Amino acid sequence: MKTIKRSVYISGIIIAGGALIAFIAFLKLYNKPHTDVYASDPDYTLTAKALVETFKTDEARANSLYLDKIIEVEGVIKDISAADGNSVITLSVENSIESVICNMYPTENKKTLGLHTGQKIRVKGICTGFLLDVILVRAVISG
Amino acid sequence: MRIRFIVLLVFMCCHSILFSQEKYLTKQGDISFYSHTPVEDIKAENKQVLSIIDLSGGEIAISILMKSFVFEKALMQEHFNENYVESDKFPKATFAGNIQNLEELLSGENHIAEIDGKLTIHGITKPVRIEAKTDLEEKKVVLTGKFMVTVADYDIKIPAIVRNNIAKEVEVSFKLEHLPYN
Repeated sequence: MKTIKRSVYISGIIIAGGALIAFIAFLKLYNKPHTDVYASDPDYTLTAKALVETFKTDEARANSLYLDKIIEVEGVIKDISAADGNSVITLSVENSIESVICNMYPTENKKTLGLHTGQKIRVKGICTGFLLDVILVRAVISG
Repeated sequence: MRIRFIVLLVFMCCHSILFSQEKYLTKQGDISFYSHTPVEDIKAENKQVLSIIDLSGGEIAISILMKSFVFEKALMQEHFNENYVESDKFPKATFAGNIQNLEELLSGENHIAEIDGKLTIHGITKPVRIEAKTDLEEKKVVLTGKFMVTVADYDIKIPAIVRNNIAKEVEVSFKLEHLPYN
C-alpha cells in the first residue's frame, strides 16, 4: 500500500514538474522578443547603391539574400521626414530614382534631429524588401 | 505563369500612372489588420505601404511588403511570415483598382470612393470592392477605410491547433495620405 502511494506521489510530482517546465518554455517562446537590432551584428554591410542595384538586377535573388536580415547600409541622406512620430531617413543612390528608405526606431528620433541632408551616414536595420525603394525597418544609426 | 502576368499587369498599371498627370503618391501609407476571436486578438501594422493614385483616370495601385507587418509578438510575426502567407515565396501583396464614381468625388458631391479592383495576397488574386472615405485637399489625397478579407479565399492555411485563435475573416484598415508626385 505504502509503495503504491509513494509511486503515485512521485509520478505526480514528475508530471506536475514536467507541465510546469513545458508551460514556462511555452511562455518564453510565446513572449520571445523581436530581434534587437542595437545588439546584433549586421549580416551584410554594403552601400545604398550596391543594395539597390542588387534588387533592381534580380529581385528574387536579392529577396533570398537580404529579406529579414540585418543590413548595414552606407549612404548619403536625401531626406529626413517623420511618419507617425517615427523618423524616416531616405538614403540616395546616385543617378537613380530608387533609394533606401530607413524607418527608424523611435529611440533614434533625438539622434535624427542632429542630421542633415547631404550627410554621409551608416544605418543598420532589417530589410523587408523592395517596392519603388529598398525598405529597412527598425533601423538604428550606426555611424 | 499567372503570377508573372499579374506582376506585369501591376507594373503596367504603375507605369501608366507614373507617367500621366494628376498623380499622387505615398510611400508611408498605413495598412493594418485585426483578427478577433474569443481566444485572442491579433493586430499587425504596416507603415511602409506604397500607393499611387491618378485622379485623371481614377486608377489606384497599392503595393505592400508582407515582411513589413509588425506584430506585438515576435512569434506571431514569425508564424505569419513563415507558415501562413509564406512571405519568402510571396513577398508582396498588391491591389490594382479603379474609382467607379470619380466625377462625384471630384465635384464634391460624394466623399466615399467606390473602388473596384483586384487584390493579390499569397499569390492569389480576387476581385474586391472597397469603399474609402476620400478627402481631397489641396495637394493631398487622403483615403481611409476598412474592409474584410476572408483568409480561406487566399489559400492561407491555418493549422487546426490555432484555428480558434485566428479569425476566419480579418478586418483590414487603411490610411493613405498621398502627396503630388512629379
